[in-house]
Amino acid sequence: MRRLFSALNRDAERWAMLVCYTFCCIVIVQEVVRRFVFNFSSAWGEEAARYAFIYLGWIGAAFAVKERAHIRFDVLLQRLGPRGKAWVFIVAEVATIAFACIALYWSLHTIRQLLQFEGATPVLRINKAWFEAAVPIAFALIIWRSLQSLTRDVSDLRAGREPYAGKAMFEE
Amino acid sequence: MSPVVWSVLGMIALMVIGAPFWVAMGLGTFAMLASTQVLPLTLIGEALFEGVDSFALIAIPLFVLTGDAMVRTGLGEKLLNFAEASFGSLRSGFGTSTVMGCGLFACISGSDAADAAAVGRLTMARLVERGYPKPYACALVASGACTGILIPPSIAYIIIGLVLGVSSSTLFVAAFVPGLIVLVSVMLTNAVINRMRGYEHSQGRFHLKKWLGALWQARFALAVPVIILGGIYTGVFTPTESAAVAVAVAVGTGLIQKRLRLADFPAMLGTSARVCGVVLPIIAVALLFSQALTVLNVPQTFVEWVMGFGTGRTAIVLLFLAIWIVAGMFMETGPNIVVLGPLLWPLAKAVGMDQIHFCVFMITTLGLGFITPPFGLNLFVMSGLTRTPVSTIAWYALPFALVMVAVSALIGFMPSISLFALGR
Repeated sequence: MRRLFSALNRDAERWAMLVCYTFCCIVIVQEVVRRFVFNFSSAWGEEAARYAFIYLGWIGAAFAVKERAHIRFDVLLQRLGPRGKAWVFIVAEVATIAFACIALYWSLHTIRQLLQFEGATPVLRINKAWFEAAVPIAFALIIWRSLQSLTRDVSDLRAGREPYAGKAMFEE
Repeated sequence: MSPVVWSVLGMIALMVIGAPFWVAMGLGTFAMLASTQVLPLTLIGEALFEGVDSFALIAIPLFVLTGDAMVRTGLGEKLLNFAEASFGSLRSGFGTSTVMGCGLFACISGSDAADAAAVGRLTMARLVERGYPKPYACALVASGACTGILIPPSIAYIIIGLVLGVSSSTLFVAAFVPGLIVLVSVMLTNAVINRMRGYEHSQGRFHLKKWLGALWQARFALAVPVIILGGIYTGVFTPTESAAVAVAVAVGTGLIQKRLRLADFPAMLGTSARVCGVVLPIIAVALLFSQALTVLNVPQTFVEWVMGFGTGRTAIVLLFLAIWIVAGMFMETGPNIVVLGPLLWPLAKAVGMDQIHFCVFMITTLGLGFITPPFGLNLFVMSGLTRTPVSTIAWYALPFALVMVAVSALIGFMPSISLFALGR
């Protein structure tokens, strides 16, 4: 059980992203092939790909919070010592959590309304709430990941360690 | 001071401290909406979904993925060999070939940073070997890679298309020649600097046989840009579809030639998915911000204020040039496009500028921001690859930046460069 949790903690976003991404690619390619070979394209393909992409993007945002890959100014950051850096990261994480709470609250509000009024999507005829759920799910994850980073930064600050600087966008 | 001004100031302060851009922008917009009550706050929940619900945006990770697949399968190297067979005989041969490599890569990948990372990895050691100082070599690749978003396919044109409601296919057609002009200007700048400083002294002759050999070797690699651009330009594919097909071709070739294993996939998909995770929240939040500005009548007020000076078209073009250069220095292209596009377009319209011309002019000038300090993404990528300080690379990139300013001004003052391909 503990191994499952640590694997989830390490790779949950990555697995979800892989699934959405692969799905997205396959749907678009098969649409193109169908159009050329059978001269017929489905109505659901585009919609399904779009929604998979939204899940991909927002879960990717949570992943980027975990890896500190989001774009930010680092001019100030580079000039600070370990303690200063830790403080900057703490402020940034608190800001992230604050916005994520706002986004979570209002996106849940949207979903409540969709569930109440049965807003189905034009083609798939599935309640749109299932797709809009990408936003609150991702923001809940973002809050969680931010809290994790925050506790790590606070303990780094206490110990006077260099805080985790994160990965650049094209680093592997 | 109105609450709007306070919100914007708070947003800027958060950004300067080092909070992620999208978080700062999101909090600023929330403060603005909550204090003015011009729009219902429920909009936040909707906008974060509706703003990015677009088929065109799916092309963003796909174009990054294609580039990545090309590098991993060794197709990227073949492109560079072809570039070298084309220009290697010049005095500045390898430098010119490197820039052409950036251009070829720009026809595949939609992002500058991906372009710089891919070409930099392949050419850096050899550029230094040929006699270029390391920081100059970094600056050269960084500048050549600016064409990543200027030559289609391009993430930047997809975003501006989304924001202003223009088809990205149309923008891609218009953008090709302006992007090519920037590429050639980087090549020429390198040739001139090389002549003055005497870095590289390549000799040799152009061999048709060798060139044809390299062309044949690179046939699969060159097929990818042909599929992408050919598909989009003939109208067979939408940009998103062409990206998906290009992914399929690059991955398929890799699997058939056994250059790619299934085990490579998670890392490969991971890189482009991360790019998507970084770009998407910026677009969503910046769209919300610009909606709030529009409702608060900021663009209109700005137009009236500027037009109040009795400014003509020349002054407006110069003003845009200045705004975009400065904006490019301090912000990333994504938020710049989403915020400045809707803000400045009314002004351009007021002086009779064509919308396509406005987009091309804007993206070309913002492209400069990739090599200008303090926030030039390509400089950071090259610095990360070579462990050279950003400021040193930035200094060597200055001549390239100045030439690009001139090219941007040219594009600004001569609409026909951007419009002739559309027959306008």
